[in-house]
Order: sequence, then C-alpha cells, then structure tokens
Amino acid sequence: MDLLKTYILPRLLQWLVVIVIGVTITFTIPRLLPGDPVEQTLRRVTANTAIDPRAMESFQNAIRDMYGLQGSPVEQYFRFWGRLFQGDLGPSLGAFPTPVTTIIANGLPWTIGLLGTSILISWTLGILLGTLAAYYPNKLWSQTLDKILIVIYPVPYFILSLLLVMAFAYYLPIFPLVGGATGRPGFTLAYIGSILRHAFLPALSLVLLGTSFRFLIAKALAGRVIASSYVSYAELAAVPTPRIIGRYVLRNSLLPQVTDLALSLGALFNGALITEVVFSYPGIGFQLYTAILQADFNLIMGVTIFSIIGIATAVLIADLIYPLLDPRVRYQ
Amino acid sequence: MHIVANINDLRAYYITEAYGVRRTVKAVDGLSIAIRQNEIYGIAGESGCGKSTLLKVLLGMLTPPLTIVGGSVTYNFEGEPVDMASLSQAELRAMRWKELSYVPQGSMHVLNPVRRIRDTFRDFIGAHVRAPRREIDERVRAYLVELGLPDKVLGSFPHQLSGGMRQRVTIALATILSPRLIVADEPTTALDVVVQRGVIQLLQEIRERAGNTMVVVTHDMGVHANLTDRVAVLYAGQLMEEADTPTIFAQPRHPYTQHLIRSLPKIDDRSERVSIPGRPPALDNPPGGCRFHPRCPYAMEVCKTEVPLIEQVGPNHRVACWLINEERMGRIAARLANAEPRPLATDTQLTPQRPSPGGARSAGGPEGAIR
Repeated sequence: MDLLKTYILPRLLQWLVVIVIGVTITFTIPRLLPGDPVEQTLRRVTANTAIDPRAMESFQNAIRDMYGLQGSPVEQYFRFWGRLFQGDLGPSLGAFPTPVTTIIANGLPWTIGLLGTSILISWTLGILLGTLAAYYPNKLWSQTLDKILIVIYPVPYFILSLLLVMAFAYYLPIFPLVGGATGRPGFTLAYIGSILRHAFLPALSLVLLGTSFRFLIAKALAGRVIASSYVSYAELAAVPTPRIIGRYVLRNSLLPQVTDLALSLGALFNGALITEVVFSYPGIGFQLYTAILQADFNLIMGVTIFSIIGIATAVLIADLIYPLLDPRVRYQ
Repeated sequence: MHIVANINDLRAYYITEAYGVRRTVKAVDGLSIAIRQNEIYGIAGESGCGKSTLLKVLLGMLTPPLTIVGGSVTYNFEGEPVDMASLSQAELRAMRWKELSYVPQGSMHVLNPVRRIRDTFRDFIGAHVRAPRREIDERVRAYLVELGLPDKVLGSFPHQLSGGMRQRVTIALATILSPRLIVADEPTTALDVVVQRGVIQLLQEIRERAGNTMVVVTHDMGVHANLTDRVAVLYAGQLMEEADTPTIFAQPRHPYTQHLIRSLPKIDDRSERVSIPGRPPALDNPPGGCRFHPRCPYAMEVCKTEVPLIEQVGPNHRVACWLINEERMGRIAARLANAEPRPLATDTQLTPQRPSPGGARSAGGPEGAIR
C-alpha cells in the first residue's frame, strides 16, 4: 500500500504529465510554422483554374473542417484531444483520405517485428558477452571480441548498413534488396521464410551495432561490480564462479541495462528511420521519411504522438520493474 | 603447545613492472610468528606496516603483484602440517571457510546488495557443504540464534541492517562452518564504540564455543587490550615486539610499542596524548638498520646501520631493539668480566663483541641471538 502511494502513483502521474506536454508540443509546433496548410492545399488544387469566390470559400471551409482547423487554436486544441481519445489522428495529407491510424497500423507490425527482435537479441547478447569479457579480461577470446566490437561500434550506422546491402544484396545477391516480404500474406512456410529472408540483413546491421554498444556498456558496468568487495569476498569464500557471475556480477550491473532496454523498446514506435530507408523496409520509419518529404503534417504528428506515448510508457514500465530488481529502490 | 599456523622468516613483496621500471615493495620482510591453538592473536601497527599483506598471505590470496619471495607459512590444523606454497588454488579454495576463514573490515560492503541474507548464507555454505537447501536454512537459523542474532535478518537485504548488525551477520557468515583459523581484518573499524563492544564479545564467544583460533588485525590498541591474548607489533613489515597482551600493555619494551600504547587515552589521566612524529616509511625503499630509527626518540648511531636482533626478554616476550640488545650485551660483558677478573685483558677480549657504530656486527655472545 505504501509502495503504491510513494512509488507507483507519482510515476503514473509523471507518465501522464509527460504525455500531455509532449502531445501539446506536437500540436503547437505545426501551427507556429509559417504558411497555412489549407491555403497550400487550395493553391495546389486550384493552381491553374479560376473559381468563383463563393465556391472557393465553401471549398476552403470544407478543407478546414476536414483538417480539423476551424475555430480558435484553443478550440482546436480541445477538439484535437477529443479526437485523440477516439483514436482518430485525422487523414493523411499525403495519401488523402486514408486515416493516419491505418497507415501507422500497416507499418507497425514490420517495425515491431524487425526492431523488437533485433533489440532483444542484441541486448541479451551484448550483456552476456560484455559481462563474461569483464570477468575474464585476460582470455584470448574476450580480448579478440573486445577489439572487434570496439572497431564496429564507431562505424556510422548508415555506412555499416550500406556496406551490408552492397555486399550481400548487390555483389553477392544472397538477400533481397527491397521490401518486407514477397508472395501472398498468410501463415505459410514460404511467406514466413520470405519475411525472415527480407529481415535478415536489416536485423544483422542492427544487431551488430546494438551488440557492440551494449557489450562496451556491460563490460564497463560489470567491471565496476567485479571490483566491489562483495564480489571479492564471495570469490574468497570459493562460491562457484557461475553463481558469482550470474547472481553477483550480472544481477548488480543489470539495472541501467533495464532502462536501456525499455528506452530502446519505447523508441520502437519511432521506427528505425535509417534502417528502413536503406533497406526499403515498409515500417514506420520509412513512412515517417515519406511523410517528411511530402509535408504530411498529420502523419508526422501521428508518428510523433505514437513515439511519445511509447517512450513514456516504456520509462514507466522500467520504473515499475526497478523495485523488483533492486531492493534498495523498493524500500526507500 | 599446538601451533596452528607457523610463519617462518616470511618475505612477501609486491613486485610490479611498468614501462621497464621494476618496483619492489617489501610489505612483509622477514617475519616469524607462531600462532597457537585457541588463542586470539593480535597484530598491531599503523597503516602501511604490512598487516593486510600478512593477512592476504595467511589466507593464501596470492594474486600478482603480491609474491612470496622467501620463508614459509605452514598450517597445522589436524594431523600433518601443510606448507601453503605446496597447495594448489583448488586446494586452497576447498580449505577456505571450512578450515580457514576471513572476517573483513567492518566498513566494507561484503554482502551482495541485491540478495537476501538467507541467499548469501546459502551461496557461501553451499559452496562447501552438499546439503539440501532446507537443511542449510535450518543450520543457519540455529547458528544465528546461538549467537544471539535475530533470525529475522535472514529475510532482509543488507541495506536494511545497521552497520553493527551487518558486521555481526558477516562474522556469522565467516564462522558458521567452524573454521579452525579465523582471520579478521579490522573487524571493528568504522563501528561506534558500543557496537564495537558487541562485535568483540561475539568474536570471543565464537572462539569459546568452537575452540577455534583467531588472528585479529587492527590498529586500535583498545581492541587489542580487550580482545587478544597475545599481540605482535609490526612496523614497516617487520616484527618490533611480541608479548602476552597484559605484558605488552604493562611493560612495553620497544619505543614504538610504548608510543602506540601511550597514545591511548586513560581515565583520570589528563595529560596530553603524544603522537609519534612522522609517518611509516615507504616500503619500496625502507630506511637501513632499524626501520623505526628515523622516528625513534632514542635512536643511536647503530640503529641507522644495523638491523636489531629479536631478543627474548621474558616468557613469551620478544623485542627487536638496539636498546635491549645493548643492555643485554652490557650484562653479558659484565658477567664475562666478573668470571675472568683480568682487568687488562677484559677490554681486548670484549671489544670485538660489542657492536660498534658502522662496524661489523658480531653475534653478541652466546645468548645474544635467540631466533
């Protein structure tokens, strides 16, 4: 009960406040930009035609209504929230009149499948390898791994991914160059195989970079824990090494990693913009990229709101998991 | 008297080599002590006098750069004596906690912060005893009750316990398998005085109950007075004085020991406490002769060049000091002079035996060099 009052409730409140502020900023920024989207659309539609001013005005009103732009900014703001609660993010301006939610819903499974899997793989792999390498710093394998990953880590991501595309999709056409899958969607072996084949290269690029990053972090964190007196005391008492690595070193260096995992998973809703563009992968990141090129404000706002809610929720979940992992947080 | 651990002329150096420069820190340099069964043996001295290194060697924690350059450590728990140098890492690991255990400094955080005390006990005992978890839990509970600790600590995390309770739990953790020899490093440091008393009583109680032997290292002479049976005073890696605890407090012979004891406050004595000027020497380049001579108020010429001999000045009382050496040699000289009353010959006969400043040192007569 006390935990609920002193720990859970404040964090829920914080979560709510972050989302409200984030959505408000998302609402405000396009309206501060020069230019009126309604005027722009009208000009696009009526570029070379002369229209009766009265017809023009009703047309203007129709578009204004459709874009949700009638009334004062305050009225718009509250209507915006009302629509948001109904799950309505408005129509896409680039692919009018498809609703933004439909577009996002089309892209989301691809992004979640690709990013989610590679984040989980690289997180687990990076932490395990990093912790082991920290515990056995003088072994040949750990030093080799250290050197390889330290070389991979600073390579800019777009170069790494382009290299992979060129090597394994162009010069050696083992993997497909474009898209998420081919064939008829369905739970068939061929279709699932196609998904995996298409996802392999982008996933590899993400796992390589993610693993090397988490390896370096995990190694540094574990190194600090290994130097602590409770680890050397357990070693002195001849507690079995696997137990020391698992329950002493890993367990104590895991906390910041959980935050990292939550934030990475939260950022999922951003999509992996560069990955999806380089590999022409049909996820949210690719859509965001297209939306920016087409000045599709509604879609940009839609993706932004998704990622605000995603990250805020991820941080909330990480905060709520913390007490389970660290008793010191639980009893503060 | 049964000797549990015999340290013979031990030389343990830290040898490091960086950028081609070899540096040797002589942390323990020619130390001989014998630890008897069922005693609490105190080791005293300032920081940097080799106390902790001696502990590491006693526990077989010989990780580079710490190297044993000479001498030996022999354990004799039951049956045959074992030379530590002949034991493999695996054998040493198997010995720890069952025969040889360690109580760390009170200020150290040696309990895993994310595990309950019960789990830590399971880890430590499970490493040495094959038993079902329930049995281990029962044993731990019984032991804590025996030591007068509340068994509800088992369900707690370390941060929920007070510093004193943490230290007592650690002591229980180190002693539950009734090891023959327990080595404690500053077990009361960083605890307040009332808690210190509790910890001292706990250690005494464990010793009486299990009949084990303890080596207690602390710079706190008050703790030595209350806890130990015998005390060795170390300085710069060498033995300065060793005696039964009452003797060393009543009749300290070495100037360093005298200073250590004089720095203790006494009830009804309002005179100012005098501290020893200066600080212990850097052990990579210790001073020649007696290592204490730069700080010693009685330093003579001979102290600067010649290492004093360790001399038996009473039962269980050994001192390494030129003051004692000279006094003893004076007596021998006098006795020799009395035995052969030839006034002219006396001088010529005895001069070479009397240590002269800077000159070659002789054995100092038949009784001069004991050990």
